[in-house]
Amino acid sequence: MGHLDEQFRQVEDLQDEASPNFVEEVVVVFFKDSGRLISNLEQALEKYPRDFNRWDAYMQQLKGSCSSIGASRMKNECMSFRDNCGQRSVEGCMGSLQKLKREHAILRQKLESYFQLLRQVGPAGAATRPAM
Amino acid sequence: MELKAKGSTSIKALLVEDIGVCRLVLSTFLLRLHCEVTLAMNGKEAVDLFLEGKKFDIVLFDKDMPVMTGPEAIVKIRAMGETDVKMVGVSADDHAMEAFMSVGADLFVPKPMRMEALGPIIQEVINKKKNDMV
Repeated sequence: MGHLDEQFRQVEDLQDEASPNFVEEVVVVFFKDSGRLISNLEQALEKYPRDFNRWDAYMQQLKGSCSSIGASRMKNECMSFRDNCGQRSVEGCMGSLQKLKREHAILRQKLESYFQLLRQVGPAGAATRPAM
Repeated sequence: MELKAKGSTSIKALLVEDIGVCRLVLSTFLLRLHCEVTLAMNGKEAVDLFLEGKKFDIVLFDKDMPVMTGPEAIVKIRAMGETDVKMVGVSADDHAMEAFMSVGADLFVPKPMRMEALGPIIQEVINKKKNDMV
Protein backbone atom coordinates (compact mmCIF):
# COMPACT_ATOMS: atom_id res chain seq x y z
CA MET A 1 0.00 0.00 0.00
CA GLY A 2 1.21 3.51 -0.85
CA HIS A 3 1.71 6.23 1.69
CA LEU A 4 -0.87 8.53 0.10
CA ASP A 5 -4.38 7.75 -1.08
CA GLU A 6 -6.92 9.39 -3.39
CA GLN A 7 -7.42 12.32 -1.00
CA PHE A 8 -3.93 13.60 -1.89
CA ARG A 9 -5.06 13.81 -5.50
CA GLN A 10 -8.05 15.90 -4.36
CA VAL A 11 -5.57 18.28 -2.73
CA GLU A 12 -3.41 18.34 -5.87
CA ASP A 13 -6.49 19.18 -7.94
CA LEU A 14 -6.88 22.36 -5.89
CA GLN A 15 -3.51 23.66 -7.09
CA ASP A 16 -3.73 26.07 -9.98
CA GLU A 17 -2.03 29.14 -11.42
CA ALA A 18 -3.47 31.32 -8.67
CA SER A 19 -2.13 28.93 -5.99
CA PRO A 20 0.95 27.34 -7.62
CA ASN A 21 2.40 26.07 -4.33
CA PHE A 22 -0.84 25.01 -2.71
CA VAL A 23 0.08 21.35 -2.25
CA GLU A 24 3.37 22.19 -0.60
CA GLU A 25 1.62 24.69 1.68
CA VAL A 26 -0.88 22.04 2.73
CA VAL A 27 1.92 19.57 3.42
CA VAL A 28 3.82 22.14 5.51
CA VAL A 29 0.69 22.80 7.59
CA PHE A 30 0.06 19.06 7.92
CA PHE A 31 3.51 18.37 9.35
CA LYS A 32 3.22 21.34 11.69
CA ASP A 33 -0.16 20.06 12.95
CA SER A 34 0.84 16.40 13.12
CA GLY A 35 4.12 17.14 14.89
CA ARG A 36 2.23 19.11 17.52
CA LEU A 37 -0.48 16.45 17.90
CA ILE A 38 2.07 13.65 18.28
CA SER A 39 3.94 15.71 20.87
CA ASN A 40 0.68 16.38 22.78
CA LEU A 41 -0.10 12.67 22.72
CA GLU A 42 3.35 11.72 24.01
CA GLN A 43 2.95 14.16 26.87
CA ALA A 44 -0.49 12.72 27.64
CA LEU A 45 0.92 9.16 27.66
CA GLU A 46 3.35 10.23 30.34
CA LYS A 47 1.15 12.57 32.34
CA TYR A 48 -2.06 10.51 32.25
CA PRO A 49 -1.11 6.83 32.51
CA ARG A 50 -3.79 4.39 31.32
CA ASP A 51 -6.14 7.26 30.48
CA PHE A 52 -7.26 5.52 27.28
CA ASN A 53 -10.16 7.88 26.67
CA ARG A 54 -7.84 10.88 26.69
CA TRP A 55 -5.23 9.12 24.53
CA ASP A 56 -7.97 8.12 22.09
CA ALA A 57 -9.22 11.70 21.87
CA TYR A 58 -5.76 12.97 20.92
CA MET A 59 -5.35 10.25 18.34
CA GLN A 60 -8.77 11.01 16.89
CA GLN A 61 -7.54 14.52 16.05
CA LEU A 62 -4.42 13.16 14.39
CA LYS A 63 -6.52 10.70 12.39
CA GLY A 64 -8.63 13.59 11.07
CA SER A 65 -5.51 15.49 10.10
CA CYS A 66 -4.04 12.46 8.28
CA SER A 67 -7.25 11.78 6.39
CA SER A 68 -7.40 15.38 5.12
CA ILE A 69 -4.26 14.96 3.05
CA GLY A 70 -4.59 11.25 2.33
CA ALA A 71 -1.78 10.04 4.59
CA SER A 72 -3.19 6.51 4.50
CA ARG A 73 -0.47 4.56 6.31
CA MET A 74 -0.39 7.08 9.12
CA LYS A 75 -4.18 6.96 9.31
CA ASN A 76 -4.05 3.17 9.62
CA GLU A 77 -1.62 3.44 12.52
CA CYS A 78 -3.95 5.98 14.16
CA MET A 79 -6.76 3.44 13.88
CA SER A 80 -4.52 0.70 15.27
CA PHE A 81 -3.69 2.93 18.25
CA ARG A 82 -7.39 3.58 18.85
CA ASP A 83 -8.11 -0.15 18.69
CA ASN A 84 -5.45 -0.67 21.33
CA CYS A 85 -7.09 2.01 23.45
CA GLY A 86 -10.35 0.11 23.13
CA GLN A 87 -8.59 -3.03 24.29
CA ARG A 88 -6.91 -1.06 27.09
CA SER A 89 -3.50 -2.28 25.99
CA VAL A 90 -0.70 0.08 27.00
CA GLU A 91 1.86 -2.04 25.20
CA GLY A 92 -0.26 -2.08 22.06
CA CYS A 93 -0.69 1.70 22.18
CA MET A 94 3.04 2.25 22.60
CA GLY A 95 3.78 -0.07 19.69
CA SER A 96 1.26 1.69 17.44
CA LEU A 97 2.67 5.07 18.37
CA GLN A 98 6.18 4.01 17.43
CA LYS A 99 4.96 2.74 14.06
CA LEU A 100 3.01 5.97 13.57
CA LYS A 101 6.09 8.08 14.25
CA ARG A 102 8.06 5.96 11.80
CA GLU A 103 5.43 6.43 9.08
CA HIS A 104 5.36 10.15 9.87
CA ALA A 105 9.12 10.40 9.33
CA ILE A 106 9.02 8.30 6.15
CA LEU A 107 6.19 10.39 4.69
CA ARG A 108 8.00 13.62 5.48
CA GLN A 109 11.11 12.32 3.74
CA LYS A 110 9.18 11.13 0.67
CA LEU A 111 7.27 14.38 0.32
CA GLU A 112 10.43 16.46 0.72
CA SER A 113 12.01 14.43 -2.09
CA TYR A 114 8.86 14.79 -4.16
CA PHE A 115 8.80 18.58 -3.90
CA GLN A 116 12.52 18.77 -4.54
CA LEU A 117 12.01 16.74 -7.70
CA LEU A 118 9.11 18.99 -8.75
CA ARG A 119 11.28 22.05 -8.32
CA GLN A 120 13.95 20.48 -10.51
CA VAL A 121 11.67 19.39 -13.34
CA GLY A 122 9.29 22.36 -13.22
CA PRO A 123 5.52 22.38 -13.89
CA ALA A 124 5.70 19.73 -16.66
CA GLY A 125 6.93 17.19 -14.16
CA ALA A 126 3.84 17.58 -12.05
CA ALA A 127 1.81 15.87 -14.77
CA THR A 128 3.29 12.48 -13.87
CA ARG A 129 3.37 12.15 -10.11
CA PRO A 130 5.73 9.45 -8.89
CA ALA A 131 4.02 6.69 -6.92
CA MET A 132 4.30 7.14 -3.15
CA MET B 1 -11.35 35.43 9.36
CA GLU B 2 -13.22 35.86 6.06
CA LEU B 3 -12.08 34.49 2.72
CA LYS B 4 -13.69 35.35 -0.58
CA ALA B 5 -13.32 33.70 -3.99
CA LYS B 6 -13.47 35.67 -7.21
CA GLY B 7 -16.99 35.75 -8.57
CA SER B 8 -18.40 34.42 -5.30
CA THR B 9 -22.05 33.53 -5.06
CA SER B 10 -23.98 34.87 -2.13
CA ILE B 11 -23.50 31.61 -0.21
CA LYS B 12 -21.95 32.42 3.12
CA ALA B 13 -20.18 29.44 4.65
CA LEU B 14 -18.81 29.19 8.17
CA LEU B 15 -16.16 26.52 8.71
CA VAL B 16 -15.61 25.52 12.34
CA GLU B 17 -12.42 23.47 12.59
CA ASP B 18 -9.47 23.56 14.98
CA ILE B 19 -6.93 21.52 12.97
CA GLY B 20 -5.01 23.72 10.53
CA VAL B 21 -4.62 21.33 7.60
CA CYS B 22 -8.30 20.32 7.73
CA ARG B 23 -9.26 23.99 7.79
CA LEU B 24 -7.00 24.79 4.84
CA VAL B 25 -8.24 21.95 2.63
CA LEU B 26 -11.95 22.37 3.38
CA SER B 27 -11.90 26.16 3.12
CA THR B 28 -10.21 25.85 -0.27
CA PHE B 29 -12.91 23.43 -1.44
CA LEU B 30 -15.53 25.99 -0.35
CA LEU B 31 -13.74 28.84 -2.10
CA ARG B 32 -13.55 26.78 -5.29
CA LEU B 33 -17.30 26.37 -5.02
CA HIS B 34 -17.47 30.17 -4.95
CA CYS B 35 -18.54 30.49 -1.32
CA GLU B 36 -17.69 33.37 0.96
CA VAL B 37 -15.87 31.58 3.77
CA THR B 38 -15.54 32.56 7.41
CA LEU B 39 -13.32 30.51 9.72
CA ALA B 40 -13.81 29.70 13.39
CA MET B 41 -11.36 27.67 15.48
CA ASN B 42 -13.90 26.12 17.82
CA GLY B 43 -17.58 25.91 18.65
CA LYS B 44 -17.54 28.96 20.93
CA GLU B 45 -16.12 31.19 18.19
CA ALA B 46 -18.93 29.98 15.94
CA VAL B 47 -21.58 30.73 18.57
CA ASP B 48 -20.06 34.17 19.17
CA LEU B 49 -20.34 34.98 15.45
CA PHE B 50 -24.06 34.21 15.55
CA LEU B 51 -24.43 36.26 18.75
CA GLU B 52 -22.80 39.18 16.92
CA GLY B 53 -25.58 38.92 14.36
CA LYS B 54 -23.54 37.35 11.56
CA LYS B 55 -25.59 35.36 9.08
CA PHE B 56 -24.57 32.19 7.30
CA ASP B 57 -26.24 29.89 4.79
CA ILE B 58 -24.23 26.83 5.77
CA VAL B 59 -22.03 25.90 8.71
CA LEU B 60 -19.61 22.99 8.67
CA PHE B 61 -18.51 21.72 12.07
CA ASP B 62 -15.72 19.45 13.15
CA LYS B 63 -16.79 17.36 16.14
CA ASP B 64 -14.07 17.48 18.79
CA MET B 65 -12.59 20.93 19.36
CA PRO B 66 -11.23 22.75 22.40
CA VAL B 67 -13.50 25.08 24.41
CA MET B 68 -16.70 23.90 22.69
CA THR B 69 -17.40 20.90 20.45
CA GLY B 70 -19.34 20.96 17.19
CA PRO B 71 -22.48 19.31 18.61
CA GLU B 72 -22.45 21.66 21.63
CA ALA B 73 -22.27 24.65 19.30
CA ILE B 74 -25.15 23.34 17.18
CA VAL B 75 -27.35 23.06 20.28
CA LYS B 76 -26.64 26.68 21.21
CA ILE B 77 -27.03 28.06 17.69
CA ARG B 78 -30.31 26.23 17.07
CA ALA B 79 -31.55 27.49 20.46
CA MET B 80 -31.04 31.04 19.14
CA GLY B 81 -33.72 30.29 16.57
CA GLU B 82 -31.31 29.69 13.69
CA THR B 83 -33.35 26.87 12.21
CA ASP B 84 -32.83 27.75 8.54
CA VAL B 85 -29.04 27.52 8.50
CA LYS B 86 -27.80 24.24 7.04
CA MET B 87 -25.65 22.59 9.70
CA VAL B 88 -23.23 19.91 8.52
CA GLY B 89 -21.18 17.73 10.83
CA VAL B 90 -17.78 16.62 9.47
CA SER B 91 -15.62 14.15 11.34
CA ALA B 92 -13.23 11.22 10.97
CA ASP B 93 -14.81 9.71 14.08
CA ASP B 94 -16.91 6.66 13.18
CA HIS B 95 -19.43 7.47 15.94
CA ALA B 96 -19.85 11.13 15.11
CA MET B 97 -23.00 10.85 13.01
CA GLU B 98 -25.23 10.09 16.00
CA ALA B 99 -23.63 12.90 18.02
CA PHE B 100 -24.41 15.42 15.29
CA MET B 101 -27.81 14.26 14.10
CA SER B 102 -29.19 13.95 17.63
CA VAL B 103 -28.59 17.66 18.26
CA GLY B 104 -30.14 18.96 15.08
CA ALA B 105 -27.50 18.80 12.37
CA ASP B 106 -29.00 18.50 8.88
CA LEU B 107 -26.30 16.28 7.53
CA PHE B 108 -23.18 14.37 8.48
CA VAL B 109 -20.28 13.79 6.11
CA PRO B 110 -17.32 11.63 7.13
CA LYS B 111 -13.79 13.00 6.79
CA PRO B 112 -12.10 13.36 4.46
CA MET B 113 -14.77 15.36 2.70
CA ARG B 114 -14.40 15.20 -1.06
CA MET B 115 -15.25 17.87 -3.58
CA GLU B 116 -17.76 15.44 -5.15
CA ALA B 117 -19.62 15.33 -1.82
CA LEU B 118 -19.44 19.05 -1.03
CA GLY B 119 -20.50 20.28 -4.48
CA PRO B 120 -24.08 18.92 -4.34
CA ILE B 121 -24.47 20.14 -0.74
CA ILE B 122 -23.57 23.70 -1.75
CA GLN B 123 -25.80 23.45 -4.84
CA GLU B 124 -28.71 22.44 -2.61
CA VAL B 125 -28.10 25.51 -0.44
CA ILE B 126 -27.99 27.71 -3.56
CA ASN B 127 -31.25 26.21 -4.85
CA LYS B 128 -32.98 26.68 -1.52
CA LYS B 129 -31.83 30.29 -1.31
CA LYS B 130 -33.15 30.99 -4.83
CA ASN B 131 -36.49 29.38 -3.97
CA ASP B 132 -36.77 31.38 -0.74
CA MET B 133 -36.19 34.59 -2.69
CA VAL B 134 -39.01 33.88 -5.14
